[in-house]
Amino acid sequence: MSAIDISLTVNGRAHRLSVAPWRVLADVLREELYLTGCKIGCDQAVCGACTVLVDDIPVTACTTFAFELDGKAVTTIEGLAEGETLHPIQRAFLEYGAFQCGFCTPGMVLSVKALLARHPDPDEALIRSWLSANICRCTGYQMIIEAAQAAAKAGAA
Amino acid sequence: MDGGYPPFRAPVTALDGPAKVTGAARYTFDIAIPGMLHAKVLRSPHPHARIVSIDASQAEALPGVVAVVTGADAVKLPDPYYGVAIRDQPVIAIDKVRYVGDMVASVAAIDEETAYRALTLIDVEYELLPPVTTIVDALADGAPLLFDEPVGGAPTRVGEAAVSLKEPRPNVLYEFGYRNGDAEAVLAASDHVFEDRFVFSRINHFHLEPHVNIAQATRDGIELWSCNQDPFVLRNDIARIFGRPANAVRIHSSFVGGGFGGKSFCKMEPLVVLLAIKAGRPVRLCLSMDEALLTLTKHAAILVLKTGVTADGRLTARHSEIFLDAGAYSDASVTTTIKTGYRIGGPYRWEALESHAYAVRTTMVPAGSFRGFGGTQASFAGESQIDMIARRLGIDPVDFRRKNLLTREEPFQPGDSAIDSDLPSVLDEVAARIGYNKRPAPPPRPKRRGWGLAIGLKDGGGTGNHSLALVKVLTTGHAIVHAATVEIGQGATTALCRIAAETLGLPLDWVRYGDIDTEHTPLNNGTHVSCATAVTGLAIERAAQDARRQIMEFAAAQLDCAPDELVLENWTVRRGNYFHPIDKLIGDYFGGAGTEFLGRGSVKIEYDPKAPIASPAMFWIPCWVGAEVEVDTETGKVEVTRLVAAADSGTSINPLACRGQVEGAVLQAYGQSLFEELRYDGANPANATPLSYRVPLASDLPRHFEGFVVEHGGPGPFGAKGIGEAGMLGVAAAIANAIDDAVGARLTEIPFTPERVLAAIEAKG
Repeated sequence: MSAIDISLTVNGRAHRLSVAPWRVLADVLREELYLTGCKIGCDQAVCGACTVLVDDIPVTACTTFAFELDGKAVTTIEGLAEGETLHPIQRAFLEYGAFQCGFCTPGMVLSVKALLARHPDPDEALIRSWLSANICRCTGYQMIIEAAQAAAKAGAA
Repeated sequence: MDGGYPPFRAPVTALDGPAKVTGAARYTFDIAIPGMLHAKVLRSPHPHARIVSIDASQAEALPGVVAVVTGADAVKLPDPYYGVAIRDQPVIAIDKVRYVGDMVASVAAIDEETAYRALTLIDVEYELLPPVTTIVDALADGAPLLFDEPVGGAPTRVGEAAVSLKEPRPNVLYEFGYRNGDAEAVLAASDHVFEDRFVFSRINHFHLEPHVNIAQATRDGIELWSCNQDPFVLRNDIARIFGRPANAVRIHSSFVGGGFGGKSFCKMEPLVVLLAIKAGRPVRLCLSMDEALLTLTKHAAILVLKTGVTADGRLTARHSEIFLDAGAYSDASVTTTIKTGYRIGGPYRWEALESHAYAVRTTMVPAGSFRGFGGTQASFAGESQIDMIARRLGIDPVDFRRKNLLTREEPFQPGDSAIDSDLPSVLDEVAARIGYNKRPAPPPRPKRRGWGLAIGLKDGGGTGNHSLALVKVLTTGHAIVHAATVEIGQGATTALCRIAAETLGLPLDWVRYGDIDTEHTPLNNGTHVSCATAVTGLAIERAAQDARRQIMEFAAAQLDCAPDELVLENWTVRRGNYFHPIDKLIGDYFGGAGTEFLGRGSVKIEYDPKAPIASPAMFWIPCWVGAEVEVDTETGKVEVTRLVAAADSGTSINPLACRGQVEGAVLQAYGQSLFEELRYDGANPANATPLSYRVPLASDLPRHFEGFVVEHGGPGPFGAKGIGEAGMLGVAAAIANAIDDAVGARLTEIPFTPERVLAAIEAKG
């Protein structure tokens, strides 16, 4: 099968790519755009480490075909900070110690961003429900939930 | 250390934090070497079989395939076996396969797709042998043998009161025995003796970063970029297996995306090196999570405890028989067996203690290191039985514990070090936080509510452990800490740099944790046993003190005075009212590129034959756990409504990270208690894929979940001790005890599934 030409923006920058029809977004981000903040854990859409935002909706990049991205806007973890200035959610993660090994952190931060975009003032039950799309094997989640609450309070949405 | 405590109360921002929240942190997973090939592994579909032949000619002929490796290549190596103490695991299967998932052949190709395709072209002929799926089957007379001949290696050293035996009988890999006093005689004289049997489950580490290694082999040496937790252990294994001097083997470490023991010691790394040698090019092997589930597990176990008690509730003696399911290969089973057997007494005072622990070979996934190993198995059985005895005697379980708990300064066992935490006071605090003494009205039927407590305990810092460290202070006062503790999420980077910064009077952000490379980094025994802060941290404190002494002597020589006339502050020495910037003193004296002060430090926990397991524990790791549960008596579902755990960090060098360590470990143990398990259907794994292997999610959290840290002092730098494994201990027992409190039925096998809960309720009638 021949390659498919797509146009998309990634972190606000336009790209024109030619992708094989079986190629997934995670591989394109990591291997062609060198955005290695997109981590692949389970590679089966279970762990959420590869979560990125497509038109502000969280998707698992490990199971999203690259050709589906034609005309879409992708946000990865690399697109959140502005220069040296961290996004408020990133600051909250730092302040609340909401990471350990850090492998799930990019996906977690982006899931919190998607959550706060829809629910700027979520209660704890809603945060638990949204973050259940992302596995963290290190923290026990509680400190991530506190960071999400702090980010909401700081108006991160 | 006087005056050392106050600065640490202030929270710090983790040094590795900015890189981790922005996606810039580099893991081995992210590394690429020019020209590297990609490898995949063909695994055995059979639990036990002899390899009759392997035909890889079609795979080798596939365009894009560069090398295929099988046991025929491994057998030519100087020493193709690895394992901790006992070495029975081949680099790749040589004559037999011993579990579903055993590595049979591996292909290096230009990309992963080609390597995968090549695997399907390899033809393996097997002669099937009967599997050995349970501990009981493995120990039965006439059971099929996993190994026909004795394997390599030697049993681990233990103290005079213990025995340590390699392969004492068929299918037993290792036996540990410990005896203090005459347990049988004391039990015979006790008012009550209770014998109970506990069954512990098998779980996987489920670290999110896969096992990933890149190897490169040239005439000059072997280079490996590895996610391994133990770079120096790995270096020595690679050197031995390939017959190279250790200075021709170089291991690079990066951030590790979770390990929990799953990335400890040697595993698939020598296979990657073998592929790189045969291919003549760098090779990357990244396992899938399905493969990780077939690489290592926690030890499943059967524990039989016979415990004596006087009529008034004083514990007398405990006799234990412990059988650990080691799976197909040794891995870290020897140390796990020692630790389970030795820790089985828990935090209590005994007249006599006797235990026999066996690592039993089965055709299951090999078992090895898992956060708190031995302590988790022992604390589930021990702390469950303590509660059962209290309830049988009609004594409140907290009062029963209080009466028998070791006090501070009492040795764990004769010849070992003293308990260094105040056990009763934190038990009371945890009991208060779960509402143990203020019980609300019962929930509506069919639900029942109950409260349970447990104290897990393990030794910390590692038996006979050793660590070196180097602290390099540059002309400008900026410093680099060099040590081999891998940043695996435990927060070592921040804690270890903070120890150096405080010792040198420098701002924390002036200190950097050096990249680990066995060619330059000072050695340690690996990232294990909650030893980073206490053991390697102490070596770093000593290295920083050494650098500081050199700095003061240098400045004193420049200022023509004695070092003790000077005060070091923010890279300035003050003498009386005069301030002298050190960088200026260095510039004036050295010129050129300036200089560096190289401070060296080391720690060695001495061996002592009088200590039961060969060295006294450097410190003790208790975990106090309290659980409030609601049990639905119609469905058997257990909901943990409050879960509170406390651990003792000594001085918290990094308070935020300490709390995170406790909560993270507690949630792992919580998942194992309620639902998480690597299940088998006969000899075949039933859920060895992330789609069906269930780990705790945020939605699984107890309604109230809280970890907290107490500071009772420790032998490490600034009074610190280790805390990383604590939260694994005692959680399962606390939940079982709460279930018993709620419904009067006892669960002795984890996980506490609704089926088991209902069966236990029905069994008590």
